[in-house]
Amino acid sequence: MKKSIGFFVFLALLIVVFGGRGKMYAQEVNLTTTVNKTLLTLDDKLTLTLTVYGTQDVSPPTFPEIEGFSVLYGPQISAQTRIVNGAVSVSKGYTYVLQPVATGKHTIGPSTMEYKGNRYTSSPVIVEVIESKPSSGTKSIDLDKLVFTELKTDKEEAYVYEQVTLFFRLYFQKGLPVADIDYTAPAIKNFMEEKLGDQVQYEEIRDGIIYNVLELRTAIFPIVSGELSVSSAKLKCNLIVQEQRNRSGSPYDDFFSDSFFDDFFGRGQKKYPVERITNPVLLKVKPLPETGKPKEFKGAVGNFNMEASVKTSRVKVGDPITLSVSVYGDGNIQTINEPELIINNKDDFKIYPAESTTQITNREEVIRGRKVFSKVIEPQKTELKSIPAIVFSYFDPRENRYETITKEPIPITVESWEQEIPIQLTLSQEKLPSSQQQVRLLTQDILPIMTGLSSLKNQRSPFYKNPFTVGCLFLPAVVLITSFFVVRHKDRLQTDIGYARNRRAHSVANKRLGMAESALSGGSASEFYACLSGGITEYLADKFNIPAASASGDKIADLLRNKRVPGNIVEEVIRCLSDFDYRRFSSDTGTKDEMEHSLNIAGQLITKLEKQL
Amino acid sequence: MIRARFCIFILAALFFCTEKAFADQLSKDGVVKMFAAANENHMQAVKFIAEKNLQGANKKLEEAALQYEMILSKGFGNGQVYYNLGNTYYRLGETGKAILNYRKAHRLMPRNAEIDANLRLAKNSIEDKEVYYETPAVLQRVFFWFFLMNKNEIIAFSVSLYVIVMSLFIALIILKYQWLKRFIIGFSAGLLIAVVSLGIKIYAEHGTDRGVVITKKCSVRYGPGEEYEAKYEIHDGAECVIEQVKGKWYKVYVHVGIKQGDALQTDGDKKEDKEIRRGWLHRDDVGAI
Repeated sequence: MKKSIGFFVFLALLIVVFGGRGKMYAQEVNLTTTVNKTLLTLDDKLTLTLTVYGTQDVSPPTFPEIEGFSVLYGPQISAQTRIVNGAVSVSKGYTYVLQPVATGKHTIGPSTMEYKGNRYTSSPVIVEVIESKPSSGTKSIDLDKLVFTELKTDKEEAYVYEQVTLFFRLYFQKGLPVADIDYTAPAIKNFMEEKLGDQVQYEEIRDGIIYNVLELRTAIFPIVSGELSVSSAKLKCNLIVQEQRNRSGSPYDDFFSDSFFDDFFGRGQKKYPVERITNPVLLKVKPLPETGKPKEFKGAVGNFNMEASVKTSRVKVGDPITLSVSVYGDGNIQTINEPELIINNKDDFKIYPAESTTQITNREEVIRGRKVFSKVIEPQKTELKSIPAIVFSYFDPRENRYETITKEPIPITVESWEQEIPIQLTLSQEKLPSSQQQVRLLTQDILPIMTGLSSLKNQRSPFYKNPFTVGCLFLPAVVLITSFFVVRHKDRLQTDIGYARNRRAHSVANKRLGMAESALSGGSASEFYACLSGGITEYLADKFNIPAASASGDKIADLLRNKRVPGNIVEEVIRCLSDFDYRRFSSDTGTKDEMEHSLNIAGQLITKLEKQL
Repeated sequence: MIRARFCIFILAALFFCTEKAFADQLSKDGVVKMFAAANENHMQAVKFIAEKNLQGANKKLEEAALQYEMILSKGFGNGQVYYNLGNTYYRLGETGKAILNYRKAHRLMPRNAEIDANLRLAKNSIEDKEVYYETPAVLQRVFFWFFLMNKNEIIAFSVSLYVIVMSLFIALIILKYQWLKRFIIGFSAGLLIAVVSLGIKIYAEHGTDRGVVITKKCSVRYGPGEEYEAKYEIHDGAECVIEQVKGKWYKVYVHVGIKQGDALQTDGDKKEDKEIRRGWLHRDDVGAI
């Protein structure tokens, strides 16, 4: 089996490879003569090209007989190989540059060549040479020869609903840059239209000049008979033409007229806006013949085929069957009407209107596609053995006659409801009673009440009455705010010295007073007053975030006043500090009671200051 | 001093909560007993129906309905009670009241399939085939949490998300882990959705009043009073939207299905459309959901 598959694959490869080569070598050998212009002056030069298509292994074709021209140089030989969509084409060109020497119409005679014993001849080309025109800034350009348009149909006569291909072609001379193409399609009345494929681009020789052709195709379907006209198509574009300059003889002109500078600075190029309007196209549309028109004909024109199928062939009476009828082929798919069911007795089937879907599968040369009609029919009798025959008629314009396709009846089995075998659940075959009955819905009843007590709780109590919910709402907020301030406090203690000193000032002062109390009990008077004085000074230095050494009486007084501390407290602070310093360094330390009194005063003073600062 | 005040506050709060919990416990016991008795009556009634003793069945059903109504009148709202009451009214032949109670039960137990089944059955048996607005299935799938949770469940869900978000915030403040911010954004988005859903739910339940006709037949009038002409008739079980209340009258509108098409067309071919019909209904004829 594997061997046979391998053989077929090999065979397929051979077909592809040699098929492709066959395609390449199947190109016809041909010889053409082309010129770059057919109207020129004595000052111009003519480029004549002899091109051999289909082979490159060939001797040069004979130079044609030409009167009124002298050969400047040539031949310049060029070979070209093109691969377009897998199709290979080869050509070989022999180019001569000629100088006209006499005015008038000259015929460039046919050129000939021999290849594999066959003789090939090109068509002659007529060229007109006129006198030189007076010198001006730019030479006049014959735009009509450079670019033109054409609107044509593939046939001049057609039947109603028959496809006619409408061609719009834009011709512009090979190598001529065309930009900003703006195409206005012809206004098509009395026709239905469908776009055909993408735009096509190819080369064509006309009057010995090679043109690039841009072709747009549209399929049009006339919907009435008579002399119909397709109105003009319009095209606007810009031609980009290289201007030739007059040389004044200046050395700089030679330098700057170099093509490199022209291209780089955009000089020497000129945009010529061109507008072309085609001639309208006349089409003779014939009505469909009456002779031989079948009664089932509903207007389809083209070449069609038909398929029919059903989804289920075994149904019960009254059950729906989906009948799918597909009509496919070439022609106007949109206008295909539903094929007809040949029903003898209207009571046999209940028929519903069909739904249709249209699909266009090919738009290259002709409109090809498929229209599928889905129709629901319900057989009403068990005696019915098939779905009725389906008939579809169309007119074939190629054969000039009507065709009718008939699909034979599709066999179906229609069962009655009583004969249906009920669903078997768990009973075995032996236990099944001989006469089984279909399960019937006797009555519809509500589902029973709910008796579970686990979920019996008051669902209507508002959430704000639930302490847990309320706690969940408020507690996190309180914790969040608290933690925010605590963390900020800790951060400031670590980073803000002034803040840290301010916060610890009271505790430090209390510590100092504690030390003073110890000194008092120890009998060291100078240390006692040093602790009192230091306690108050350090307290104030911490509060104002200044060094303790610089906390002199005057400075402290200024700072306290700035903080709007009452004057009596300020005076008391100054008095205490001078008193403590005096007693600290003098022999008049006072009695123990006086010292205890001083300790109390210092404590009260710090408390007062704490309230003020 | 401050500490003492704080202690008093805590004690008072604890006392309040304990007392509240105790009171709930008491009422719940009574509710459970009454609920069990009502269920017993209902089941006996079903037995009587099977025995074709319709008189006995009706008596038991009326007793059951009274007990269920009593539970509800005490402020104890529960989906099971509404559902059982709906069943009881359905068996008593009062389809309107049955639908009304099924609707109320559905609000509290939106995931319960039995309520849906019985509601559908009850709706099929009413006379007016009005077209009631149902949320499209796609929306029900996309916003599933909204349709599968009742109001309290959405509240619980929102509170849980809130606690998580706040905990994450606290952790971020204390621990300063920057990756916690991603979780905060995620949970905050969830919290926002939950809160918006809750708002819509509350609006849907309390902002728009819906009602069910609970009398066999009543006239919808042009104005709020018996002196106004009857505009059209509406029957037991039809649902309406209450737009305005004026004295003992409700201004309501109902969605009515209209078939469009030729007289020759079959029902299947006709196009169905909705029409809104307005009017005034007496308060006694309508039960607000």
